[in-house]
Amino acid sequence: MEEQQSFIEFVQQQSGKLLEQTLQHIGLTFISLLLAVLIGVPLGILITRRKKLAGTVLGVAGVLQTIPSIALLGFMIPLLGIGAQPAIVALFLYALLPIIRNTYTGIQQVNPTVTDAAIGMGMSKQQLLFKVQLPLAMPVLLAGIRTATVINVGVATLAAYIAAGGLGEFIFGGIALNNTNMILAGAVPAALLAIIFDWILSRMQRLNLRKVKKSLYIFPFLLLILSSFYLLPTVYGTQLVAGFTPEFMGRKDGNLGLKKIYGLKIRTVVISDMIMYKAAYEKKLDVISGSSTDGRVKAYDLIVLKDDKHIFPPYYAAPIVRQETLDKYPELTSVLNKLSGIINDSIMTELNYRVDYLKQDPAVVAKDFLVASHLWQPEKHGTKGSIRIGAKIFGDGYILANMYKMLVNGYTDIEAITKTGLGGTKICFEALTNGQIDLYPEYTGTGLLVLLQAGQPVVDSLIGDNQKVYDYVAGEFTRRFNIRWLAPIGFNNTYALMMRRQQAVTLNITSISDLTKYLVHH
Amino acid sequence: MIRLENVSKSFTNGKPVVSNVSFEVNTGETMVLLGTSGSGKTTTLRMINRLTDSSSGNIYVNGTPVTTQQPETLRRGIGYVLQDNGLFPHYTVAENIAIIPELLQWDKKRIIDRTAILMEKLHLPVSEYLHAYPQQLSGGQQQRVGLARALAADPPVLLMDEPFGALDPVTRASVRKEFRSLDEVHSKTVIIVTHDVQEAFELGTYICLMDKGIVQQIGTPAELLFAPANDFVHSFFHEQRLLLELKALKLADIRPWLTGTDQLKNGVIESNLTPEFKIAVPLNGGNSCWEALEQTTAGEMTIVQFDNGIAELNTNALMDAVKQYKQTRVHGRTTELH
Repeated sequence: MEEQQSFIEFVQQQSGKLLEQTLQHIGLTFISLLLAVLIGVPLGILITRRKKLAGTVLGVAGVLQTIPSIALLGFMIPLLGIGAQPAIVALFLYALLPIIRNTYTGIQQVNPTVTDAAIGMGMSKQQLLFKVQLPLAMPVLLAGIRTATVINVGVATLAAYIAAGGLGEFIFGGIALNNTNMILAGAVPAALLAIIFDWILSRMQRLNLRKVKKSLYIFPFLLLILSSFYLLPTVYGTQLVAGFTPEFMGRKDGNLGLKKIYGLKIRTVVISDMIMYKAAYEKKLDVISGSSTDGRVKAYDLIVLKDDKHIFPPYYAAPIVRQETLDKYPELTSVLNKLSGIINDSIMTELNYRVDYLKQDPAVVAKDFLVASHLWQPEKHGTKGSIRIGAKIFGDGYILANMYKMLVNGYTDIEAITKTGLGGTKICFEALTNGQIDLYPEYTGTGLLVLLQAGQPVVDSLIGDNQKVYDYVAGEFTRRFNIRWLAPIGFNNTYALMMRRQQAVTLNITSISDLTKYLVHH
Repeated sequence: MIRLENVSKSFTNGKPVVSNVSFEVNTGETMVLLGTSGSGKTTTLRMINRLTDSSSGNIYVNGTPVTTQQPETLRRGIGYVLQDNGLFPHYTVAENIAIIPELLQWDKKRIIDRTAILMEKLHLPVSEYLHAYPQQLSGGQQQRVGLARALAADPPVLLMDEPFGALDPVTRASVRKEFRSLDEVHSKTVIIVTHDVQEAFELGTYICLMDKGIVQQIGTPAELLFAPANDFVHSFFHEQRLLLELKALKLADIRPWLTGTDQLKNGVIESNLTPEFKIAVPLNGGNSCWEALEQTTAGEMTIVQFDNGIAELNTNALMDAVKQYKQTRVHGRTTELH
């Protein structure tokens, strides 16, 4: 195992990336803020003059504000795709309410006697606005901009989900990888940005605006300059664009491996796996880091590139069972092994497609498959005892757990109960070791890296060979946890790079090496 | 000069706020619009500088109908003083006073000179207050700055909406006194809105008493007191009637009933004085009976110098003359109700 890196070391090592993300973050925040000021302030002024509009405008802006930020980003994707545009629009919408509302309130709270005096002395509407209303509303207006800035610095972290960059890349990558240094490398600068901008604006609020009137004109320019930060990092790039999940970005068996082993150089954006497949389908991205058996691979007609240098560890699925349970019900082993070897990657993808994409009931999908494979038998309603079958929250698990339940109920006198939706690996495994469940489907890669936490030398010696990994994991589990790995089911749900079938065929790319070569020459 | 002809104003729901108001104020005169709140006096005032537009009727400022001018141009030629002074909190005293001259694009030097002159006249030391902000001043000082601001461009017309209303009684009296003694004001057409009867009597050449948007009577303070047009006018001054009467009556008005004035001649005063009497400031026919009463009741020797003679007064003689004046007035002429 590598030595634990310190936070400082991590920051030093990643300083280039950190600077880029920080600039992107500032850029995103201020482009949207600038737009919000340009639109929100005039709108706020308008509604002080047309009071009837005030309710509607503030209402709409208020409703926009209440939409959860991740949902707002979600709404933007069908309209604007992924990348900077939807992120900026979403941030702009968030910044709008505080700016409109504070412009409105600021002008409303100007002493009516003062406005009355101004009009009575013969000021025109323009003079009234610029000499009286805006200067007197300025502290409140600035407070609105201040609120908007702080909100935007925070929400801009979510931009990492839709390939718009920013410090969210580190934060979400860190969360996915359980890498505290990486989380902090994103979170600390984001927090500092919020604090610094808040402080600067609070100073501006307190200044005597009459005396520093000229310096106030600097403000828009400052906004423009800060906004342009976003454009800096994106000047380099390749013809193809890759979208990787935050987790994949930081993994040795992910982007780091691609760079090191394959020498892959591709323009990369970070994106949430929820929208990644669709973005590839919509040609917003060309290469994505998917999961090989995900239903959306089929739904969006993507193909998996061959991992010809074996950087992705094998994630073959197999049921893992408590030894106690097997001792009690020896007949289980043969029943559970009935699935072994009959579900390959494409079958699993197909099954996931039906559940994830076509939204069919996992139980129905499981039964249909068993019937088609001539494995299904009617329930025996046996009374010999009961076992509990667990599963993680994603598609594979639901379907497999349902199949095992039907097999156990059909072939033995044991009654099987499913306990699906047990969350991630940790929860499932603890439920199994504590005897709350008797079995669940697990992946060899997960067993090796997450549950056994095998050291780097061990991993390196095994990783290229599926059988070696299986043997090692099965042996260690029996020894350390008294848990048995039954025969692998046959599919490998691992990381994979994928492309649109059409494009891959046109460019004649079938493996990651092909992709690397193509990128070198183009 | 300001003239209103049958001016009315109704709300959008048709309810009248001001009905059929007509009056004329000449240069050098002060018209006080007096009434309780809701009487339409402020609305009447605001129609003159078009902060409110009239529903019907004509308003002339210096002979020109107000509706034929740009509101901004019209207002820049009218001094406007508000109850809560309406000073710009983000402007210094100097900047506040300079607002209208700036709007009229005076040159810098002229503005600076004018500001200094006004501040001096209103007893605001330039060195101390020129760059102060309104919130650093006392209420009375703020109101004086408001006054200076209205006078800055030397407008021929001055509109004042409860100008001293927000001040405490002591400050109010002193600012009012300062206002009365300003030479600049004497050459202007002034309209003041107030609900303070004393203030109306002190400042008004004429008083226009309003109730529910209708003018009840227009006349000099004495006319309103001694020849009320109707019961409303009569009862409006019920409280403090004697005080108001004594303030409204000039010594010249009661001259006919002051006995023994004829035999006293200029120059006789000194010889007639007995040493035990202190000599007060000599009064004249323009002084009010109230001022005379203040002297007589203080035990001072009260001498009134009329154009054609001198009278020596005591409290009894004074009150007796007032009483006789009132008896004749009841049967005298009354002002017509407009």
